[in-house]
Amino acid sequence: MNILVCVKQIVDPDKIEYNSTTKTIKRSSQHLMNNPADLNALEFALRLKDIFPDSRVYTLSMGSLECKEKVKELIELGVDEAILLSDKRLAGSDASATSYALSCAIETLERFDLILCGDHSLDGETSIVPPQIAEYLGICHIASVVDIKPKDKDTLEIVKKVENILAKFEVKLPMLLSVKKDSNFVRFPKLSFMIRALSYEPKVLSLDDLRDIDVKRIGLEGSKTAVDDFEKEKMESISCKIYEQGSISEIECIAEVILKFI
Amino acid sequence: MDYFLTDSQKIIKRLAKKISDEVISKVAGKYDKEGIFPRDILDLLAYTELTGVYIPKEYGGFGGGVLEMCLVVEELSRNCAGIAVSYAATALGAYPIMLYGTENQKKKYLPKIAKGEAIAAFALTEADAGSDVSSIKTVAEKDGDFYILNGNKHWITNGGEADIYVVFAVTDKSKGPRGISAFIVEKGYEGFYCGKKEDKMGIRASSTTELIFENCKVPKENLLGREGTGFIIAMKTFDRTRPGVAAMAIGIAQGAYEHALRYAKERIQFGQPLTSFQAIQHMLADMYINIEAARALLYSTCRMIDSGAKDYTKESSACKVFASDVAMKITIDAVQIMGGNGYVKDYPVEKMMRDAKVTQIFEGANQIQRNIIASEIVKEL
Repeated sequence: MNILVCVKQIVDPDKIEYNSTTKTIKRSSQHLMNNPADLNALEFALRLKDIFPDSRVYTLSMGSLECKEKVKELIELGVDEAILLSDKRLAGSDASATSYALSCAIETLERFDLILCGDHSLDGETSIVPPQIAEYLGICHIASVVDIKPKDKDTLEIVKKVENILAKFEVKLPMLLSVKKDSNFVRFPKLSFMIRALSYEPKVLSLDDLRDIDVKRIGLEGSKTAVDDFEKEKMESISCKIYEQGSISEIECIAEVILKFI
Repeated sequence: MDYFLTDSQKIIKRLAKKISDEVISKVAGKYDKEGIFPRDILDLLAYTELTGVYIPKEYGGFGGGVLEMCLVVEELSRNCAGIAVSYAATALGAYPIMLYGTENQKKKYLPKIAKGEAIAAFALTEADAGSDVSSIKTVAEKDGDFYILNGNKHWITNGGEADIYVVFAVTDKSKGPRGISAFIVEKGYEGFYCGKKEDKMGIRASSTTELIFENCKVPKENLLGREGTGFIIAMKTFDRTRPGVAAMAIGIAQGAYEHALRYAKERIQFGQPLTSFQAIQHMLADMYINIEAARALLYSTCRMIDSGAKDYTKESSACKVFASDVAMKITIDAVQIMGGNGYVKDYPVEKMMRDAKVTQIFEGANQIQRNIIASEIVKEL
């Protein structure tokens, strides 16, 4: 089974800063991290490889060359090959342009039986890249996946979660699934994989390596959406009040506080 | 301080730190309180391949040395020495096999230990033979293709949990220390039982038990080295594993120091953080100085051993004594800095203070270590 996982290198949400001129996120290498939901997707891919050891797990990321160090962390988890699509012409791509560029890269690479993505990135929150990639590739897509188990090499049993409903599907490959954050426990690295990552160089693709890509559809120019302005949400300051146990009036106070939130 | 670790040593330290911070820190309090043996953490160490860092590559390990083993122990101990000692005690049981085992013994046992499929233990101490090793009473009598072991061992780390035990017994009473031999005993051998589990002050996640041998039949091919070499095997093993105790002590000290420093920065008294008071500043500075000094001595000793030095008894003892005394002092000071909060179980420093104590006691009490060091330096004159 050939499995591809799309992994985005995002800026740590606690340290996020915006460039007010370009209306884009400042991407400093020291605050980069792999998007958590994408790591949950990767964990499912690695579990399939545990069951079918002859499977190969690839990752595809898009970003500046500064992302390489974070991409190498995927090798530490057991990924066979990590690919980074990096080209200055991609800068400023919105979700649509990103989906288009990624789908062109996927078509250039090998044939994949399964493509996995996290269902959203913590820095973009659009959640539309996975379905758009599936659309460009002409394959089926299921979102909000929380469990993936193989029935055989061509069929998966998956569970998707919507609110408090768990829906079970049996799907035939090829397929694109987007996985909910925290749907599994992401494994620890292995020492031997970490040693491999030390000298591993991710395969870097530029736009010139991609077949049939229309460069007018990527980057800031090729994006269909543009951010008008950023404004930091004003958070109400939270104060802590300690109530002693036992008094009716204090219990009433607590009830009052709870009622405010209902 | 930069200790110029190699890339692979940095990776080992980073991986052990990740496990320590992300998993061990969350369970340390519960495991300590309830005395839970950390089987799940040992399984995780096996999955991540840290169980084999000090075992040669030809036996399924990573091929590192004492320094690699110490880096793991140190990082695990930053959050729980009780869990770390369960890992370190396996190394204590594995080293005699690495140092004195036959090719068959190494091939049989070391790959299992390297992969984390087997836990090991070292059984020397008895009720009346602690620092006075040569007075052990457990006996091994040869009977055809077997040795028959009879006697009791006390305070054995990983007791009851380990799969492989290196057990010391007297094969010739008339020869004193030269009449002691070492045997590999597997869990489940006829006549081998686990006795009482100790209710300890610290390192409570680890299992410390009595071992009972009642006509225990051990195949003669499980003799380690030759008959009568047990005392040497024990001493040479300790030379390699005492740095592990130092690493545990440094990990405890580092953990306590980090908690105390963070607390002192946040705790406001008289309108200022504790770190603005010189009395506290000096305590924190002394903590830092002593930890770095202990670590420098430990890493130097490890590098000396791993580079193939022939004799490193006094260095090994010195780093154990120094680091364990530092750990005791620092954990007491950490509790002092944190005051009432340091003394209650809501914060981990009281546990660290209890854990630190054992590093001055086991693998040779610090008084015996000073005897060893003194004897070596006088001999060298």
